[in-house]
Amino acid sequence: MISSSYVAQVTPGMRVLSDEQKVQVHQATLELLRRTGVRVVVPDVRDLLAKAGCWVDGDRVRIPAHLVEWAIRTAPHGVSLCDRNGNPAMFLEGRKGYYGTGSDTPYVLDAYTGERRQAVLADVANVARLVDALPHIDFIMCMGIASDVTESISDLRHFEAMVSNTVKPIIYTAWSRQNLEDIVAMAEAVAGGAEPLRRSPFCALYSEPISPLTHAKESCEKLLYIAAKGLPVVYTPGMMIGGSAPVTVAGALVQANAEQLSGLLICQLIREGTPVVCGGGILFMDMAKGLISYAAPEFMLATVALQEMCHFYALPSFSFAGCSDAKMFDQQAAAEGALWVLLTALSGGNLIHDVGYIESGLTASYEMLVSMDEIAGLVKRLMQGVEITEETLALDVIDHVGPGGHFLEEKHTLRHFRDNWFPKLLDRRNLPEWEAKGRLTLGDRAAARAREILESHEPPLLDEAVADRLASIVQRAEERVRQAENQSSG
Amino acid sequence: MADILQKMASSLYAGEDEEVAELVQQALDQGMSPAEILSSGLIAGMDEVGKDFKAGDLFVPEVLVAARAMSAGMGVLRPLLAAGEVPSAGKYVIGTVKGDLHDIGKNLVKMMLEGAGFETVDLGTDVEPAAFVDAVREHRPNFVGMSALLTTTMVNMKTTIEALEEAGLREGIKIMVGGAPVTDPFAREIGADAYAPDAASAVDVARSLR
Repeated sequence: MISSSYVAQVTPGMRVLSDEQKVQVHQATLELLRRTGVRVVVPDVRDLLAKAGCWVDGDRVRIPAHLVEWAIRTAPHGVSLCDRNGNPAMFLEGRKGYYGTGSDTPYVLDAYTGERRQAVLADVANVARLVDALPHIDFIMCMGIASDVTESISDLRHFEAMVSNTVKPIIYTAWSRQNLEDIVAMAEAVAGGAEPLRRSPFCALYSEPISPLTHAKESCEKLLYIAAKGLPVVYTPGMMIGGSAPVTVAGALVQANAEQLSGLLICQLIREGTPVVCGGGILFMDMAKGLISYAAPEFMLATVALQEMCHFYALPSFSFAGCSDAKMFDQQAAAEGALWVLLTALSGGNLIHDVGYIESGLTASYEMLVSMDEIAGLVKRLMQGVEITEETLALDVIDHVGPGGHFLEEKHTLRHFRDNWFPKLLDRRNLPEWEAKGRLTLGDRAAARAREILESHEPPLLDEAVADRLASIVQRAEERVRQAENQSSG
Repeated sequence: MADILQKMASSLYAGEDEEVAELVQQALDQGMSPAEILSSGLIAGMDEVGKDFKAGDLFVPEVLVAARAMSAGMGVLRPLLAAGEVPSAGKYVIGTVKGDLHDIGKNLVKMMLEGAGFETVDLGTDVEPAAFVDAVREHRPNFVGMSALLTTTMVNMKTTIEALEEAGLREGIKIMVGGAPVTDPFAREIGADAYAPDAASAVDVARSLR
């Protein structure tokens, strides 16, 4: 049978901007960069921009359109991250989406007592171990700021804890350039050297400009190092609509676009071909109290629009899912988190983070993480779309069963019923069974599942020599901190 | 006479700073006393703002522009008010602690305080403990407020309090702390006098500490 020019919509999607509107946003961004520019605090970076042809006036840098477009053309269209063993793991390109946790929450809801307490290093290790076991979570960001270690080098501790407890890719943060150098040394030890790490990176730095429109000292210093190393970086804004960004979604979108593209330019000027993940956070300032919201519809809309701009440029994008303003894993957390998981899948974000964030990013919740993993499973099935073939249309089967018959024993049913999704946490059983099992809520079941994984899952261990090398890098840093303290008090 | 005061209060409520300044001047030209203009025109307007904000009918940007209008009115009045007549809910030194560049929250608190009649001295961001000490020595405030958004910089709230103690300046002031990772237990642990969870409640907390 011939069927010419057949076009199938294979997977569901969504759009909020037309092609012409994306051009409009792009042109508005170029005008912003020409007219207002950005503030660049570090002279070395300013010099790079000036030499390339930007207009520099003090620390204000205005950027001509051709440089922005050069940066977009020059940056890689995709960033591939491997796992700890160097095997391909995430292809951050096109509309391929991967979910992961969020970074640096000061607090955590204890997995056993539910108590909101300061995060400790064991939480960072535990979340990594949990992520290692969860089927739909593909990468880790340390969901916890360890309060029980030397504060100025807790980022090294986080990295050590993450890499020791999961093989999945790591997106890490660094407090300073010096610490970044230490973390990269640790990553090189794991990968087997600088060259293997560069070829098959299993981790990427996460850094941000300061909104509005400022490339600050620490960020620039870190970019200078990481880009020169040829290692991947996620450099994305984290602005607040109405506070550090215009109150209208379109205005915030243009500002975010300007920040991400000027950051991209900086990276490409430091080293052409630096792998950069763009996108990021256009969060929301709630005007009742001036507090930030992680689940406002405006945040969702702006994020979707920013993903569309990233696709427009064919650049990898950083996005959000599974996060909430709720103070515990309650109905609000489930509603907000799930909306996000679906939205981001539909809008095609690549590196989708903050799964498990509650309390507007202040607290990590094990139940939230486990529940959103389940929702991601549901959404992934939904995202498979409707496949139309002779087999799936099933006309022969329908005819065979006939009016009034049933399909349960058909070969066709047996062949395909496992293509449908089976929940592990969401409950579809009937009432008597639910009651017999203890009338458990989703939160109860998620907490139990989290504990079960924490008590049983053993991720593959790091090679002992590597683990020792990591420990010695941390020790060296501890010593450096001690010496600095002695010097200042001496 | 009363008409112009009512108009002034409504303009203030609506955040019309130029109009408020003009009306203040007009009222003065008509012979009203600065003290009366202040209490029945400007403060009356701000009281309504405060009431409606608490009730959730007015939002942060509206409060801020109203405070700006109040400031504009005060700009005309201040030189004319006798020393004792200038209302001050207190003098407030505020800043974001060392190592921290976040300022939106701090700015919000500052603007709310000014709207409520506090006199503020803004030290900016990344403020060394020594700079806080110098500011207290120079300005002799009633309050010191510290903001931090990072857990790594929160610790500088403690070092700043210690610096103030060492300089013998802790006694005469009330110290308030705030910022997303800051909590009430943390505030008590470091020896601060109070914690406020957001800019709006910061004003109430400051008032209660007087």
